[in-house]
Amino acid sequence: MKRYSAFAIAREALKGHTGWERAWRNAQPKKRYDVIIVGAGGHGLATAYYLGKNFGITNVAVIEKGWLGGGNTGRNTTIIRSNYLQDPSAAIYEKARSLYETMSQDLNFNVMFSPRGVLMLAQTEHEVRGYQRTAHANALQGVTTEFVSPERVKEIVPIINIDGPRYPVLGGLWQARAGTARHDAVAWGYARACSDMGMDIIQKCEVTGVTRENGKVTGVETTKGHIGCDKLGIVVAGHSGQVAELAGFRLPIEAVPLQALVSEPIKPCMDCVVMANTVHGYMSQSDKGEMVIGGGTDGYNGFTQRGSFHHVEETVRALVETFPMISRLKMLRQWGGIVDMTGDRSPILSKTPVEGVFINCGWGTGGFKAIPGSGWGFAELMATGHSPLTADFGLNRFREGRFIDESVAAGVAH
Amino acid sequence: MTRVDLAIIGAGPAGMAAAALAARQGLRVTLLDEQPRAGGQIYRDVDRAAALRGDLLGPDYTHGATLTAALKHSGVDHVSGAVVWAIEEGFALSYTKDGRGAQVMADRVLLATGAIERPMPLPGWTLPGVMTAGAGQILLKQSGVLARRAVLVGTGPLLYLTAAQMLRAGTPPLALVETATRSDLLGAMRHLGGALRGWRYLLKGLGLLAELKRGGVKRHVGATGLAIEGLARAEALSFSAGGKSHRIACDTVYLHHGVVPNVQAARSLGIAHDWNAAQACFLPRLDIWGQSDVPGIYVAGDSAGIGGAKVAEEAGRLAALHVAQAAGRITQTELDRQAAPLRATLARERAVRPFLDRAYPPCPEALAPADATLICRCEEVTAGDIRNYASLGCVGPNQAKAFGRAGMGPCQGRYCGLTVTALLAEANGQTPDATGYYRVRAPLKPVTLGELAQMDQTAQDAAE
Repeated sequence: MKRYSAFAIAREALKGHTGWERAWRNAQPKKRYDVIIVGAGGHGLATAYYLGKNFGITNVAVIEKGWLGGGNTGRNTTIIRSNYLQDPSAAIYEKARSLYETMSQDLNFNVMFSPRGVLMLAQTEHEVRGYQRTAHANALQGVTTEFVSPERVKEIVPIINIDGPRYPVLGGLWQARAGTARHDAVAWGYARACSDMGMDIIQKCEVTGVTRENGKVTGVETTKGHIGCDKLGIVVAGHSGQVAELAGFRLPIEAVPLQALVSEPIKPCMDCVVMANTVHGYMSQSDKGEMVIGGGTDGYNGFTQRGSFHHVEETVRALVETFPMISRLKMLRQWGGIVDMTGDRSPILSKTPVEGVFINCGWGTGGFKAIPGSGWGFAELMATGHSPLTADFGLNRFREGRFIDESVAAGVAH
Repeated sequence: MTRVDLAIIGAGPAGMAAAALAARQGLRVTLLDEQPRAGGQIYRDVDRAAALRGDLLGPDYTHGATLTAALKHSGVDHVSGAVVWAIEEGFALSYTKDGRGAQVMADRVLLATGAIERPMPLPGWTLPGVMTAGAGQILLKQSGVLARRAVLVGTGPLLYLTAAQMLRAGTPPLALVETATRSDLLGAMRHLGGALRGWRYLLKGLGLLAELKRGGVKRHVGATGLAIEGLARAEALSFSAGGKSHRIACDTVYLHHGVVPNVQAARSLGIAHDWNAAQACFLPRLDIWGQSDVPGIYVAGDSAGIGGAKVAEEAGRLAALHVAQAAGRITQTELDRQAAPLRATLARERAVRPFLDRAYPPCPEALAPADATLICRCEEVTAGDIRNYASLGCVGPNQAKAFGRAGMGPCQGRYCGLTVTALLAEANGQTPDATGYYRVRAPLKPVTLGELAQMDQTAQDAAE
């Protein structure tokens, strides 16, 4: 792999930009691999990357039914934060956030991580108490957050209206080192690094079956034929239930469309991310100047990656009160992504009833921020059978009642 | 919320004719249209302009007044100035009028959204002073405005008509630069038999050409190497024709190489589309009544395939009849009886189309533009960029969005969609059908957040 650098740009500029290589090879499947990861989104590619980087396992294929990064990786609102309530969550999200800080250097690919700060608005007395509690919990976990006053909120976000009649701002939970990153670049950066380690990224290859012998996985049937493997990682947010079914087990998961929209671009007016959980809306300004707005989940289960207006109108109505200046902005695009919901709103990173099959799913509405931490922990789990990062997120927690309740900190009313 | 039997989008010939007929059959009809007055593009502002400029615009234009008159007395709820931006299942149509959002529910929907001009990406086409011939028509019909030093570039009957209208107005174009060749015309001759059934069109075309010749309008045929020159605005058109290179200094360039169906609404509903090689565009898959594979959704007029105003009118009526039958207002026998004369007219009016399609094919240089030419104006993506995405593994238009944002700007992909599909199909060696098209989603037209927010309020007020 040719490294990207200022020198490389200068050299290519002189050569008329003819020497750039493909970022990743377009691979066709081999007969078998040590590890197959199903799903070339952020989580799947990160898993493959850390399998190679941390454990030297490079005989790996990442297979994808569409194109890489085409699922929720390309559909989220790119928020990165780690101000969760429970210790296991704070640990994995903070690991992820800290990995994001050095990701561009690590991958030699600019993922445009922007630690611009995330502000979660407290708009009811209940939320004030909840966020004060989270701030205390974060202090104990070593995650730097603070509960700030309405006046401080106004300082951080000058365009906000803190005196709204219906949705006043009573304070906020501020995480200064949280932020955003370019979502596609995260997938592309990992894919390039994986390909460089000799891994095969196989697009347009849908898994149609999981072959097993004596309760142990032997490979996958795909639209490009049978591919053998010793270990199989299922990382297919939105369709986890279907792929798990192919492997012969069930998951405590519901699939729900989550809504997002984006406005026309305007000049810079808001340099942090604001989340308003009471109204389940969150907003940031993209580098292009568009206001990126995340909405709530649809009120029903579904698999369509389309926009719907059931909640968007409600979300936008509340946001327009909180940010009066956005009312005249035009909405350009709206879309949905299929999110995996677990009962406790925490992910599942786990072994499964089938030996050699591992599952990484259930990230709900907040998977993007977790990508590097999830990949780090899941790779360790797949390589060694145990990871301190994922230990609490096993499937058996639902049988044993050890829930990791994050229904508040997950950020969106469910 | 209002619930109607039939909602029609677009008050052009198809929409107006369908609305009037459906209302006459006793259906409750809402006709939503973006313009302040009925007419569509072809009969734009006909009620006002026919009296002011009817002689200039010709009798084909003033015919539109019969449709607007029938609409006025039909009892149709004609909502003008309404921009429809979402059609959801059931069917709920969301639209904006006077800065306020509103919704109407309909059992059936007729999409009569007409055509858009085929984008003509040539070097320099984004310079100020360059517009489509259709835009020129809008200026003329609505405001009586014409450019003084203009060149008409491209292919198709609309160019002749525009040139003739300019001539009649006393501001003839500097030149008519046609990209169609004499061999195109020869190739079209095998369709002449069919075209003779539509002899009125041919006669009209010959009449226009004769008028242009009499008026001394300079014509260049088979032009290639087209480029619009200028730094801050269009200053000249350069091209080769007849073995010589030309350069015509001008202020305005009117571009036109045919129109294509506006399929945004149909696409957003998930209606199946097929590539039509003769018209070089996608057409919605419809039954003989204009009903799509989404039951209850009909498409008529140019949005179902380019056929012109007369075809649109009758196709609109045909769809309206079928809706009336489906709603139990008329019997199957009555439907067939009333449909027969409409079908006869349709066959006659459509007869000339294969000839026109063959005689005036789209300009090849604009279908596969040079690498440096912008094809997505909103996001400034060039044809070379798209080819480059293909070499990086981009298989379709939706993935192209992730690579370089083509189609993600305010026009919602209307302007670059066909070009992106064509470029990717060519680069990947695939058919347009296999390459596909943008997955069009609401909002079909940009809607402000304020309008969206206030819709929720309206719904709540209604509930309370």
